[in-house]
Amino acid sequence: MTLTAAEPTPRRRTWEAFRRNPLGTGSAAVLILLILVAVCAPLIAPFPEGYGTDTSQPPSGAHWFGTDDIGQDVFAQVVWGTRVSIMVGVSASILAIVIGLLVGVAAAYFRRLDTPLGVLIDLSLSLPVLPLMILVAALAGPSVRTLVVVIALFSWPEVARVVRSQALAIVPLPYVSAARVVGGSATWIIRKHLFPGVIPVVGVSVVLTTSRAVLAEAGLSFLGLGDPNSWSWGAILHKAQMSGSLASAWWTTLFPSFAILLLVVATTLLSVAYNDARNHRTR
Amino acid sequence: MRLRFIGTRLLRGAVTLWFAVTVTFFLVRLLPGDPVLAVADPNMTEELRAKLLADFGLDQPLPVQYGEYLLQLVQGNLGMSFRQSIPVTTVLMERLPWTLILTLSAMIATVVVGIPLGVLAATKAKGWVDRLIQVAGITAQSLFVPSVGVFLLYVFGVLLGWFPIGGAVDPDATGLAASLSMLHHLVLPCLSLVFIQLGGYVLTMRATLIEALGEDYVTLAKAKGVRPASVVWKHAVRNALLPTTTIAGLQLGALVGGAVLTETIYAYPGIGRAIFEAVGQLDFPVLQGAFVLLAAAVVAANLITDVAYGFLDPRVRTS
Repeated sequence: MTLTAAEPTPRRRTWEAFRRNPLGTGSAAVLILLILVAVCAPLIAPFPEGYGTDTSQPPSGAHWFGTDDIGQDVFAQVVWGTRVSIMVGVSASILAIVIGLLVGVAAAYFRRLDTPLGVLIDLSLSLPVLPLMILVAALAGPSVRTLVVVIALFSWPEVARVVRSQALAIVPLPYVSAARVVGGSATWIIRKHLFPGVIPVVGVSVVLTTSRAVLAEAGLSFLGLGDPNSWSWGAILHKAQMSGSLASAWWTTLFPSFAILLLVVATTLLSVAYNDARNHRTR
Repeated sequence: MRLRFIGTRLLRGAVTLWFAVTVTFFLVRLLPGDPVLAVADPNMTEELRAKLLADFGLDQPLPVQYGEYLLQLVQGNLGMSFRQSIPVTTVLMERLPWTLILTLSAMIATVVVGIPLGVLAATKAKGWVDRLIQVAGITAQSLFVPSVGVFLLYVFGVLLGWFPIGGAVDPDATGLAASLSMLHHLVLPCLSLVFIQLGGYVLTMRATLIEALGEDYVTLAKAKGVRPASVVWKHAVRNALLPTTTIAGLQLGALVGGAVLTETIYAYPGIGRAIFEAVGQLDFPVLQGAFVLLAAAVVAANLITDVAYGFLDPRVRTS
């Protein structure tokens, strides 16, 4: 560790560039705040359940985001909704990335698998995903676990496509052939030589897949396929739609909608900033 | 050459459709849960259960069911709706025209608004107009469809009362009045879809046009003394339009998903609303049929854009 001063490592350079971009740091701060709300939900507001006395009240000092038609506090709903929305988004995205990474790398490394897997990825990407997710979620029955699995099941092809094209550029490089020549097993070469090359691309994909998963969760919950025992941003909108307060009580829809927008804009800007920072040419 | 090009695209479309049908068929059959429980009450007798299974052909071995399903599908039969006891095809075909009207009008409106906006951003690149359009484009791409729908519904339907808050047409209107009423009902749902689609078109148009404006032929046109507006619109935009056509194909899936959510909000009687109703009633044949039909629509639309692209750009045909 004596040679650090002369030439900063690429990782360090990316971090330095990222830190100088206010859009990137601002988005990261928003995401950290949302994650904190999700983790600390029980400390911020009581779990919204049962019936309250103040029904359909607009925002006030006592109820920051107003109350819904059965008197529950919308602020508490949004806080607890943050928890489920982010949890489902992150779990589904991790699952999708693991599947996408394995399929993408396998397609690029094993020649024989490339055609069938490539066709599978292309076919999956050309289908309208939401109606398919609706069908499967309705069949499997509503629960948080169903949401995670269903969203992951139909989100991995996007990751696999990105990983495959990146891995296809690495496989013909001499160091991979060298690893093969010295007798390395396929799993060893993939783990030690292919993964390090594709991980940076996956880094961007993690945030984007998460935000897409959050949107998918909101869409399914909005249609009534969410977990009936827990709150998510989409579920708040679904209840507003079912009770008819969608059009009259603007506060029941504005705040969850704003939360979704905040998360998705922050993840998009974060990935833009990360890409700019990593791409040393554009700086 | 052209025939072969169209032939390969047709084959690809057919394979995609077969894949969609097969995936749903096996997903529905292999998932845990008794499909008969969905139609009848759980305390039914064993004979009744067996009779229901036989009625829906669910007592046959899986490959037989699959073959039968494909055979029926080719004849345009999507099975019977569990709840309404009428063919799924009848249920959905009534709804399909509304979804087509909604999605097509949204697509046309997006192109009409999006392309000039992209051109504006590209010609004013790095200026504040460009910055504004870029930020708005990214934000628009991040919007949740129902949120946009509810916002427009609240402002223009409830507060201002300019547009109806639901439905697709006034049932009492006839003739010209009916057409006007249809357009009147279409504005808000269509606008919701335009909002979420616009970002992709604007940003792609901007990026490809900036690239095209740096090409030699643009410099040559400028040097010849062609008017600046003509350089942009007649020379550069024509070439930048091609990648934008690809975006139309890529966004089809998102457009269909958006239509499902938008129709739910506006009680617009399309396929999406039918899906929402079928979710509430656990009517699986309708859900499955709706997916197959929407997949077919997407495949057909992709085929049309592909072939159009092939005619516009000969390089695609020969490669």
